[in-house]
Amino acid sequence: MSLEIKNLTKIFDGRKILNDISLKVENGQTLGVVGFSGSGKSTLLKIISGILYEDKGEIIYPENSEIAMAFQYSALFDFLNVHDNIAFPLVERKEFRGKYSNEEISKIVSEKLKMVGLEGIEEKFPSELSGGMQKRVGFARAIVTNPNIILYDEPTAGLDPVTSTMIEDYIVHLKKELNAACIVVTHQLSTIKRAVDNVIMLYQGDIVFQGSVQDLLYGNNEYARQFVSASIQGPMNIATK
Amino acid sequence: MFELNKTLTYQGFLLFWKQIREFLITLGNIGCDFSRVFAHLLTFKINFKEVVEQSKRFAFDSLPISLAIVGMTASIIAMQLAPELAKQGGADYTGMLSALVMVRELAAVMSGFAIISMVGSSFASEIASMSVTEQINAMKVLRVDPIEYLMVPRFLAGVLFMPVVFIVSAFFGLLCAGLVSHFCADLSILNYITSMWHGLYIRDIFIAILKSSVFGGTIALISCSCGYATRGGAKEVGLATTKAVVWSFLAIAMWDFIFAAIFYL
Repeated sequence: MSLEIKNLTKIFDGRKILNDISLKVENGQTLGVVGFSGSGKSTLLKIISGILYEDKGEIIYPENSEIAMAFQYSALFDFLNVHDNIAFPLVERKEFRGKYSNEEISKIVSEKLKMVGLEGIEEKFPSELSGGMQKRVGFARAIVTNPNIILYDEPTAGLDPVTSTMIEDYIVHLKKELNAACIVVTHQLSTIKRAVDNVIMLYQGDIVFQGSVQDLLYGNNEYARQFVSASIQGPMNIATK
Repeated sequence: MFELNKTLTYQGFLLFWKQIREFLITLGNIGCDFSRVFAHLLTFKINFKEVVEQSKRFAFDSLPISLAIVGMTASIIAMQLAPELAKQGGADYTGMLSALVMVRELAAVMSGFAIISMVGSSFASEIASMSVTEQINAMKVLRVDPIEYLMVPRFLAGVLFMPVVFIVSAFFGLLCAGLVSHFCADLSILNYITSMWHGLYIRDIFIAILKSSVFGGTIALISCSCGYATRGGAKEVGLATTKAVVWSFLAIAMWDFIFAAIFYL
């Protein structure tokens, strides 16, 4: 079972944001997507998750696919407490409506919170939580329907290094627990080193690098070398972008 | 050398075109959202829990300000009308004229304005901030339809509960006008009530209820639609709220004109 993308193209206002992208992610594997801001990383996630539509190409989902997405700024519903945020799809999604009793929902919510290392915060509202906790509640909400595809949009952005490490550990843990195909969009090398199996690099909508983490860090691809060394000099021209 | 794009006429034309384009896009968005809400209503896919929640906001949040505005307006009209009519020997007409003005026009329009400022603006800013913080995208990924969850209950709350606000406000307005007439023109409350029914027909009340229902649905739809189409950040949330308020005011005025033309021309 795998998630496969074939020749995906997305055009905004006449500009190609994604140009003929093809990739494959097996279940139990994590693909890292790196690249400079505006290279099309988040657009790729939005197309896979169904928020945006592709202009060309094809996405082949595994059978009975259930997609989850952890957003960059968590995107928790600020009018609901943690319990109701996590329970939201179980309560509001058509196919789940009336399927679970309140007790069952509370049990599932506590279980998922435990999976991301948070317990006893069900009654708190998102505004009462730290950035790291919000991310983890976002993860708990994403996995409440036991997805087999999990998408992470910059999961460690804006977090301190210790919390980032914790989040990276949870990404690995959830992948193993759910045997899901994961895609992580990130700028952080630490996330790539700790939580990712393979990497693609996007630049102006094209894949300019595809390989293992080792290849990215120590290989000869000039795009990868510029990214890893955080150099201004190189094939990726940031100033004129 | 003459450069067309630097002329004042050209810049003015560009600005005008931008406004026209913006107007057409907003109109298109509202039209699309209405058709999606309507499609949901036809399939009876209604989240009743949310309808109850939004109805509470629609009926109770706006009621105090609605009562205040309608009460004040009715009192002012009675204050100006009653002494003049009394001088001309027509004090008995005060109730009739107040009832006509309040029930046919002012109670619905004024409570509509109160609802725009209290509820419409809060619908627009709430949904706009959900949109810019990706909460609506999160809903889509969780396979919960934002139209069904956010717009349909608010639209229904508007259609069902604006008439309630109208009825309570109109009653309160007439009561205020009666009291003011009594103190300003020495008109007895009984005379005032008797006079009220001389010019007012049951038909007028039904038309006003229908009109307020249309007002409520329009306010909810425009507010939700302006919020839903928002992209960007804090500035855009503010602009969306302003747009929702302005468009709702215009729509209320337009509907009021249409109702007057259809039923009273």
